[in-house]
Amino acid sequence: MKKYYYIVLLIIMTILIIGSIRPEYGNPRNLDYINYYLEHGVQDTGAINLVASIYLDYRAYDTLIETVVLFMAVIGVTFILSKGK
Amino acid sequence: MKNSRIIRTLAQKLLPFIFLFGCYLTLHGHLSPGGGFQGGVVIATAIILLTLSYGIKETENRFKEKDLSFMEKLAILAFIFLGLLGIFFGYPFLKNFLPLGQRGCIASAGLMIPLNLIISIKVAAGITGIFYALVKYRGEI
Repeated sequence: MKKYYYIVLLIIMTILIIGSIRPEYGNPRNLDYINYYLEHGVQDTGAINLVASIYLDYRAYDTLIETVVLFMAVIGVTFILSKGK
Repeated sequence: MKNSRIIRTLAQKLLPFIFLFGCYLTLHGHLSPGGGFQGGVVIATAIILLTLSYGIKETENRFKEKDLSFMEKLAILAFIFLGLLGIFFGYPFLKNFLPLGQRGCIASAGLMIPLNLIISIKVAAGITGIFYALVKYRGEI
């Protein structure tokens, strides 16, 4: 029963991943995203550093998950190391 | 375990400058290379230097592990709270709702300075917590 569950999950994941791939996304000639950040980044966010404006304004949700990942790492290290004693 | 007197004195004199550099990297995160993660790691390095030179017991009197883990959890909650606060003003989650200010000044870019400060506190507390766990449960130092 468990095996079929994983197989169904794998099929759904494969369909979602294949559906989300866009052939023109990785094209180096498609500079729309880069040009948008270069032209509007300073006006939109008010920060001179474009890297900060991307990871704290356009992609702030990713930064939140990134901090949660570090939090999980701390919990894991403390839990595993403290189990021996 | 204590190290020699030279190392202890040098660490004592260097500590405020390392803290200052970490705060500088954090507060200038939106103007120059750096940011919350890097500043937090530098601040954690100062506490690690203190542990290496003075030993774990004397360091834990100043920077208690309980307080550090409390601050870490508080920082995550503050991050989410700042994101939710924008919803009450009618913006999406984690959208910048503060005024942008003048370009190039430290007091600009709205929500970036609080988020950088929160990330810096969180990373400093987290890396110090990992180091404390390695030292205490493995007994390396």
